[in-house]
Amino acid sequence: MEHGKHVFRIVILVAVILAVVVLGRGLLIPKTYGLYGRFRGANVGEQMNIRPVLHAGAAACADCHGDQSTKRSAGAHKNVSCEICHAPLGAHVKADGTVVKPPIDRSFTLCARCHRKVAGRPARFPQVDLDQHVNGPVEGKVCLQCHDPHSPKP
Amino acid sequence: MSDCHDGCNGSRREFLSGTLKLAGGAVVTVIGGAALASSGSSAGAGAPLPGGGDYDWNEHLWAYLVDTTKCIGCGSCVRACKAENDVPEGFFRTWIERYVVGMDDSHVDSPNGGMDGFPPVQVGFVATKSFFVPKICNHCRATPCTQVCPVGASYRTKDGAVLVDADSCIGCGYCVQACPYGSRFIHPATHTASKCTWCYHRITKGLKPACVTVCPTQARQFGDLKKEGDPVRNVVEHDRVQILQGHLLTEPQCYYTHLDKEVR
Repeated sequence: MEHGKHVFRIVILVAVILAVVVLGRGLLIPKTYGLYGRFRGANVGEQMNIRPVLHAGAAACADCHGDQSTKRSAGAHKNVSCEICHAPLGAHVKADGTVVKPPIDRSFTLCARCHRKVAGRPARFPQVDLDQHVNGPVEGKVCLQCHDPHSPKP
Repeated sequence: MSDCHDGCNGSRREFLSGTLKLAGGAVVTVIGGAALASSGSSAGAGAPLPGGGDYDWNEHLWAYLVDTTKCIGCGSCVRACKAENDVPEGFFRTWIERYVVGMDDSHVDSPNGGMDGFPPVQVGFVATKSFFVPKICNHCRATPCTQVCPVGASYRTKDGAVLVDADSCIGCGYCVQACPYGSRFIHPATHTASKCTWCYHRITKGLKPACVTVCPTQARQFGDLKKEGDPVRNVVEHDRVQILQGHLLTEPQCYYTHLDKEVR
């Protein structure tokens, strides 16, 4: 009986520790934590809808722009997605259906990103040596004066 | 007297130590029980995902495939990724590296992640080959980045994507250091870890990641290892594929064909 007081104190201490642990876990650990693994399960669903889809792909563009799309699919640029040159569809047709005119990039830089002859490109890919193209250096000249981007010929 | 004193002291010490061990055991049991309960529910992961619609992550296992001989270094992928995922300026979820290699030396550059294409380059050695290598998060199966996360903010989904829960992330940056591929960064506005998600908001809707959607040469491909006849699965299954830094045993799910010895 002389140890009774000690036992009581330790039982209280253990009970307090347990209460703190249980309460702490309840407060600090998110609700869906551990649902699928060691992470907040609800985040998977959140990630699926984290932002609207911006790039819709060339097929979506063809819904309204059939002519250009057919022309492009028949030419050398058939694998060049519309959105590379014309910016993402999500910036052109907003979620609520309003249509914003997209900026059309007619710059030399746009064409040069793919076709300027620089170290690194595969040899079989069509590249332009700017110093020797047509009559001397062409840097800065607008490629579109001679080439049709929807159906380019060399 | 002295005997009793020693005896009493000894039994008290034993008593206290025994009781404390018991108490410790009780706490461990309770915590362990709670942990077991939570891991027990993770076994029932076939349950539908919250907010996931009709997408079932048990039916997919995504993989990424890069053919380095096809990349022309145009940077369309980097620009698409930036726009699609609102990636802050100066940071990249995907980027392109250019390797200019000779017998004696090699040169690697990635000006602005390759976003604006690549300018001509002068190297001080005889270059014998040059090529581009697109880089992205490898979405490793045994990823070090999720292992070091102290708060469970970084995880790998059942369909194979490594994601970051920005609400749980405390921005400690351990994962940024743990990633051997340099795929993660601390977002300058949210101060949480950020990385490629394989466009999880797109792939769960049946679309390809933005970088794959815009790639004009199919240097970047994305596929499902659980789907019979999938082009990426066919290559991974039957062709000779390589991975980056295989010696680290991270089991990357981003596969490469025609890699050079210079690429890390």
